[in-house]
Amino acid sequence: MKLVRLALKFLILGLFSTAIAFCVILSFQSVSTETAVTLVIFNLLFGFLTSLLNETLEKKLLMLFFGNLIGLFWNYVFSLFAVVAAGHFGGFFNAIYKILSPILNLTWIVSFWSISLSFFGNPQEEKWRRRRVDD
Amino acid sequence: MTIEILEATFSVLTILVVAYLVRHYIFTVIVLRNHHKHKRKFAVKDATYQPTVSILIPARNEEKVIGRLLQRMTELTYPKDKMQVIVVDDASTDSTGSVAEHYSRTYSFIEVVHVEKEDGGKGKASALNFGFKHSTGEILLCFDADYFPQRSIIEKLVKEFIDPKVGAVQGRVIVLNEPRNMVTRLVALERIGGYRIDQEARNHLGLIVQFGGTVGGFRRDLLENLGGWDESILAEDTDLTFRIYLAGHQVRYVGDAECYEEAVDTWSAYRRQRYRWAKGHMQCFFKHSLSVLRSSHLGLKEKIDGWLLLNIYFMPVVVLLSLVIGVPLVLLQSSQWLAAFWISIPASLFSFVGNFAPFFEVGIGAYLDGRRRAQWLIPLLIFTFLYNILICTKACLDLLSSKIAGKNSNIWTKTIHSGDGNRYIMS
Repeated sequence: MKLVRLALKFLILGLFSTAIAFCVILSFQSVSTETAVTLVIFNLLFGFLTSLLNETLEKKLLMLFFGNLIGLFWNYVFSLFAVVAAGHFGGFFNAIYKILSPILNLTWIVSFWSISLSFFGNPQEEKWRRRRVDD
Repeated sequence: MTIEILEATFSVLTILVVAYLVRHYIFTVIVLRNHHKHKRKFAVKDATYQPTVSILIPARNEEKVIGRLLQRMTELTYPKDKMQVIVVDDASTDSTGSVAEHYSRTYSFIEVVHVEKEDGGKGKASALNFGFKHSTGEILLCFDADYFPQRSIIEKLVKEFIDPKVGAVQGRVIVLNEPRNMVTRLVALERIGGYRIDQEARNHLGLIVQFGGTVGGFRRDLLENLGGWDESILAEDTDLTFRIYLAGHQVRYVGDAECYEEAVDTWSAYRRQRYRWAKGHMQCFFKHSLSVLRSSHLGLKEKIDGWLLLNIYFMPVVVLLSLVIGVPLVLLQSSQWLAAFWISIPASLFSFVGNFAPFFEVGIGAYLDGRRRAQWLIPLLIFTFLYNILICTKACLDLLSSKIAGKNSNIWTKTIHSGDGNRYIMS
């Protein structure tokens, strides 16, 4: 039984890792090199820190995978928008886009980070303030 | 040639920004790796070391909050015969003095000392030095008037002084009026990053633990040797931290000694407070940076961390400079590697807030505290940082201009407390 559970764990790990790698490769080929770099940064940051949290491996991997999907989607939509806007506004938009794109790109990372961490929280700590004041 | 100079400057500034991000990443990992380790919960009955303690409370026009703190002092579990509470009424023009006098008449361990009108209002360091002269305890603790400590806080703090290397202790600050508005909520997140992760990691790694000016204390003999607080520095707490380390002592952080503060609740109050902190911290940089690097009492890692700590309020200015230099370089597409550096600048925009904690650090701090909904506000910290860029740049320019002009333009801007925190504890 223990062996089956271990095998299942490895299977899940393999599946999610493949899916995440697929997202990064897809972003590199279909969107841009910057998107792939951003996803790699996200995976390093999120993956390493969440690996230290006291949560199940499946939950962490699922969140990491969702993060990659959202990052890919965000960048894809953004690149389409950039192509259309550049056609309308020309060089000026290109300049603005170059400056702001890393900042806007980080918006999804920070937002995803803050929301996903709240799924990991320990509900027993919710009433922390009142209890500790009287400690 | 101009492009090359700009590129080199941009690279140096960005490497500095990245160094801070890496430093805080290491802090976060260290705290996460160690938080599972079982810590025995402290119980008051376990306290074996009970020295005499003097608690200094500097107060200037604090009538709305001073009663709350003094009432709490009467509820502390530490033996009252070993406690001396000194309220330093810093020439208040409201009823702070009379509220304190009322407590002093009722409780023998509470004393009030009044600073004369012509000597008052010179700042917290001056008030603390005045109170210090009247104190008798072996250990000196400081609390701001708007704070509300746990009942067992003194036992938790003083137990660290059993170790002779420990010269000072620092407890944890938590925002009391957090639900009040967006400002207090964001300040609460800054505090979580600063105390739950930064201070704890520094303590764990044996780096420079920062004394925060309140919810902490010192050995009396050490403070006497150091000559008390330096009244010429606006960040008297940071100054004292470095003087303690340079004298060969340590500051210990006690994360479970919690105290609740009434945080600033308007953007203008936030600006005034942070301006004072920024300018004071920058003064400490000019005063201590060389001594830290030369000190024989500090190891290499303490020197590096101490130097980074002294520089921390310059970082928003560095980010601003990076942005100003980086934008034309990006537009000119000067080189390929620049794009990679350019990515790190926005990362820093979500960093260096308050106690200068990046977003991932604040997130983990909130996670460890079980603050699930508070985490949703992390993306908004970018506004606090943009505000900090302006505040720190102004503080930097003001300090440099006063240094060039050879004038000491220290003006202590007091933080006004509304007493709003009362409703979060007196229900």
